[in-house]
Amino acid sequence: MAATTKEDAGRSNMPVAVGAGIRIVAWNILSLVIALGIWQLASRAVGSPFFPAPMQIVDAFIQLATRGDTTGHSLWEHSWASIERVLVGFGLGVVFAVPLGLLMGLYPKLYAGTRAVIEPFRFIPPIAWIPLAIIFFSGLTRFAFLIFLGAFFPIFTSTLVGVARVEPIHRKVGIVHGAGKLWILRKVVIPTVMPDIMAGMRVGLGTAWLTIVAAELAGGISTGLGRMMTNYAELLMVPHVIVGMLLIGLIGFLMNEVLLLIERRLFRWRWQVSL
Amino acid sequence: MHAPISLAKVDVDASHRYGPLLVHDGLKFSVAANEFICICGPSGCGKTTLLDMLAGILVPSSGHVLIDGTQANPKEHSISFVFQEPSTFPWLTVSENVATGLNIKGAPADQVRSKVANIIDIVGLKGFEDYYPHQISGGMKQRVAIARAFATEADLILMDEPFVSLDQPTREHMQREVLDIWRHMKRTVIFVTHNLEEAVYLADRVIILSAKPARIVAELPISLQHPRDPLSVEFTEIRSKCVQWLHAAH
Repeated sequence: MAATTKEDAGRSNMPVAVGAGIRIVAWNILSLVIALGIWQLASRAVGSPFFPAPMQIVDAFIQLATRGDTTGHSLWEHSWASIERVLVGFGLGVVFAVPLGLLMGLYPKLYAGTRAVIEPFRFIPPIAWIPLAIIFFSGLTRFAFLIFLGAFFPIFTSTLVGVARVEPIHRKVGIVHGAGKLWILRKVVIPTVMPDIMAGMRVGLGTAWLTIVAAELAGGISTGLGRMMTNYAELLMVPHVIVGMLLIGLIGFLMNEVLLLIERRLFRWRWQVSL
Repeated sequence: MHAPISLAKVDVDASHRYGPLLVHDGLKFSVAANEFICICGPSGCGKTTLLDMLAGILVPSSGHVLIDGTQANPKEHSISFVFQEPSTFPWLTVSENVATGLNIKGAPADQVRSKVANIIDIVGLKGFEDYYPHQISGGMKQRVAIARAFATEADLILMDEPFVSLDQPTREHMQREVLDIWRHMKRTVIFVTHNLEEAVYLADRVIILSAKPARIVAELPISLQHPRDPLSVEFTEIRSKCVQWLHAAH
């Protein structure tokens, strides 16, 4: 290696040092403990049965996990029902939004000519579709449809915007070497748009969770974390409702972490900007 | 190596209009196979447009650009291009970037690997194969682009002011390297620059264009032996002649 490149080598994709990683974990544990402590104190100060302390949530969790709920469904059945719906709806969203976003990005006239049809749908919240979805669909289809609506637009819009980021020079590199349209799509357009697609997917996943819970609260089904929460809310059993809330938060968090992990693997080529 | 004796004789006889603007007014010249040509001209004289026509990605509004007797076409002719601006793909490593042209041409994997390793060695990027462009300097990125162009062993290599963004020592180093690669591989090179010293240093023949609408002002064969000494009497004489022509061209 030449001497002039020492500085370049220093910029290589070294992960954050291990010591710093442990410190971050420690900080997160500490803030979690503090948050739980404040919760415990607040609960004791209020002293109401409707404001349970953290330990009561743990009890409720153990009860739900080992013995199931009042209707005989286990906690895992409820969780899996929600996860399955999100995955199917979200998957459909990706499958439709990415190709459509690429197509409309590559042929701006197509988008310009159909905007009046597409864009207004973006402003109808998925929740506003629930009444229609209840009439038209049942079971998994209903939820997949609603979540699809929630996930589609963030992914579609960011894909569309991403296509505009393709550098003309990169396209030209392909063309002068004799590449066809398909090569340019696969090797230039998609790698350029990929970060935007992933960002759209993370936003879309958030919307998907938002939608599933609302849809499940609306009723008509017997499983799902939203359903379980409504059941317990009617019984005024607050700790069990909170178990459902925390699980939704946790599952959403984990799914987002998976996406982040994929991003980190996929985009090792990107430079990190820090202030 | 399946490469036949490379040919790539280029014949240009073209005019080009961009809307109401006449860019090229009856440019007519030929480039022999394996010749190293430098094209110079005042800025804005349509040098990049000319290269696009030579690459077959722009069709002249009248006349023709022929490579070995047929209309220039990047899908049929073996052409490579080094651009003025940074053109490496940020999502590919150095060696993947260098392999791009070969992969487009559908070269078999083992051939790609050996050719890429060879050219990376020649341009002095050994040890940086797995780096991403953002991890290396601007000069190194341009070397990646040059390696990519030469890796395909294209018959015709077009270079659009490839060293403009480099500092003087790197530029001189790269000029020597390009001459070296060219002597090894014997390709037809058409090199556009506005730096006359660079042109006289590199070329078998210098073509000087006028300002828009571009015409050929002068063609000057240079028979000095390589490596050329920019401080020698012959070199400075040729250079000052070129400077006079270029001034006349304005």
